[in-house]
Amino acid sequence: MNIALALSPLLVVALGALLLMLAEAFSPRQGGLALGAATVLFVGAAVAGGVWMYGIERLPEAASLAPWLLLDRFGLFFDMLLCLGGGLAALLAGGYLVEHGIERGEFYVLILFATLGAMILASSGDAVTLFLGLETMSLGAYAMTAFRRASPRAAEGALKYFLLGSFAAAILIYGFALLYGATGHTDLAGIGATAATARTPLLVVGAVLVIVGVAFKVSAVPFHAWTPDAYEGAPTPATTFMAVAVKAGAFALLLRVLLIALGDASWTSWAAGWPPVVATLAVLTMTVANLIAGRQESVKRMLAYSSIAHAGYALVGVTALMRDPTQAGASVLFYLLSYTVSTAGAFGALILCGSHGREAVSYEDLSGLGRRHPAAALAFSLFLLSLAGIPPTAGFFGKWFVFKAAIDGGLYWLAILGFVNSVIGAYYYLRVMVYMYMREPAAGAPVALPMRSGYVTAALLVSALFVLALGLVPTRAIEVAVRAATLGAG
Amino acid sequence: MIPVEHYVLLSSLLFVIGSVGFLVRRNVLVTLMSIEVMLNAANLALVAFNRSRLRHAVEQAAPGPSHTGQVFAFFVIAAEAAEVAVGLAIVLSLYRLRRTVRSDEADLLKN
Amino acid sequence: MIATYAPLFMLLFFAAFLASVFYVAATFLGGQKKPNPGKQAPFECGSESSGGRHLKLSVKFYLTAILFVVFDIEAVFVYPWAIHFRALGWLGLAEMLGFLAVLVVALVYVWRKGALEWET
Repeated sequence: MNIALALSPLLVVALGALLLMLAEAFSPRQGGLALGAATVLFVGAAVAGGVWMYGIERLPEAASLAPWLLLDRFGLFFDMLLCLGGGLAALLAGGYLVEHGIERGEFYVLILFATLGAMILASSGDAVTLFLGLETMSLGAYAMTAFRRASPRAAEGALKYFLLGSFAAAILIYGFALLYGATGHTDLAGIGATAATARTPLLVVGAVLVIVGVAFKVSAVPFHAWTPDAYEGAPTPATTFMAVAVKAGAFALLLRVLLIALGDASWTSWAAGWPPVVATLAVLTMTVANLIAGRQESVKRMLAYSSIAHAGYALVGVTALMRDPTQAGASVLFYLLSYTVSTAGAFGALILCGSHGREAVSYEDLSGLGRRHPAAALAFSLFLLSLAGIPPTAGFFGKWFVFKAAIDGGLYWLAILGFVNSVIGAYYYLRVMVYMYMREPAAGAPVALPMRSGYVTAALLVSALFVLALGLVPTRAIEVAVRAATLGAG
Repeated sequence: MIPVEHYVLLSSLLFVIGSVGFLVRRNVLVTLMSIEVMLNAANLALVAFNRSRLRHAVEQAAPGPSHTGQVFAFFVIAAEAAEVAVGLAIVLSLYRLRRTVRSDEADLLKN
Repeated sequence: MIATYAPLFMLLFFAAFLASVFYVAATFLGGQKKPNPGKQAPFECGSESSGGRHLKLSVKFYLTAILFVVFDIEAVFVYPWAIHFRALGWLGLAEMLGFLAVLVVALVYVWRKGALEWET
């Protein structure tokens, strides 16, 4: 029974997904599926929170599922984070799909299954479960990207996402196959134990392939080619889901692999391990994404590049794992939390600004919004400020902890580069606000009208609450992140 | 008895062929097949390594022979099938709209 | 035994090199095309070919085939369980029933969505 309790976040989402799938099949024309999906996910988050409060350590039977599933505080943290992100995406879909005439119940079922995959990914301690979670998550995301069947752009974005995503999965699996050959283990702890003692060419090639595969999934430059296209082609709630849950799941995978399988001192040293590789990825990701994001004419595409840039900031924290895994890991977890609520809010505000099949996509679409619809503009501004990292928002402390972890780890240059990049990044976020508050639409130009939807409003309120709460009193959240990041190996 | 090195050699060749094919070919269906070749290279490596580990364990009379590699290959096969189902559906929907299966003709999304 | 794989990776690079050489060389060496109507015509066992180049197949075939593949592959997980049926005991039976229940839900979904109807 205790095993069921330890597994309960996963079970809630899995059973909810199956029930919702049946409900959708037997009464397809019935509304309320969005509410159902969001309820399942928020209940999942609440259950994960409950298990966290009760203390997963008091459920010793949970260890019997190791190494397949590591039911620890790290996994529970990601359960809460992913359910929150998925739930927000489901709420946004409830408004968006109806407004743009593509309401079909499959979308909510896909969100549930993809979130379940991401939760399994975040809890897995073995290459087999890790692969299953990754595929469950990715397949759902591919299908959601292609959801607008009448749009060539959606099909094209989905195709690029699918091809590069499965290419990455194949590289990852071949990497794990080589690691299995080198160590005789598919579980991360076993790989780590052998990797610590003997470093063979097979091991090194396997590790490199695994890191490349994960870099594709977190869309780090130079493996980011699919991201802007997939994000732009997808319906905006699906974009939200990819930017939030898929990215968080991929970071969970990265942290588990680096901390458990390659967490030995020889692998975390600057001279002979992965830190220089991850640092290079972080610098490239931040810089390239920020430079390209500034040149975009579409706000949606700008947000896509911004989500790549944020992966770069998080990678700064990942690099700092080499010195102090707990503090740096906690900074990455807190960063992901603040990024999740800010990004979900920003995409939600963008969804709010379009209605009746007309989406707000370009900067011009938003001009004069501050005067026409002050509430929508205010919400949008809050999330943009948080993404830019301006206090008192969640994004400020997210960046603060990540750069602090880098400085404490002696990586001054990396922290400085990150800071310079966030200053560059502020430019394109503030540009949106300039358009909203200081420009007027050209005479006679078609302007997008904000939609009225209880779902979208609810999602924005929840995100705004988190953004402000994390920005004003981050202490509680950072305590939670520190406890989650205290990973016992195995 | 064929040594494990030969299998691993074959699997690395398959992996390289698959990845070069993925990068060079522009027909989406061929690209899909290239990905399948890469995944099957991984399967071959997993099964071959598993076999050599097992033989090793039997010779050393080590307890608890493990079949993880083979089980992993099963799961890869199953996930592959689901992946192809989704992939072909995406290709089909692109073909319906654009009348092409060439990835270089899918160029609507640019900066 | 694993440490002896260095030659293998040299071979890996050699294979990649060779593959690229072939791809490049094919454009120089394989490009000599002298088409004539006889060569261009499709070969169909000597008889005149008839009908258009594109034979349109209904998407129903695709749907049925892919559903078959997806459900068929799941049988791969039943075989190992069946072989170790006694060793796995009641827990194994319960787990397999859970697995099959999920598959049944998927089947019911497919059926309700009308994907199994041939005449629509």
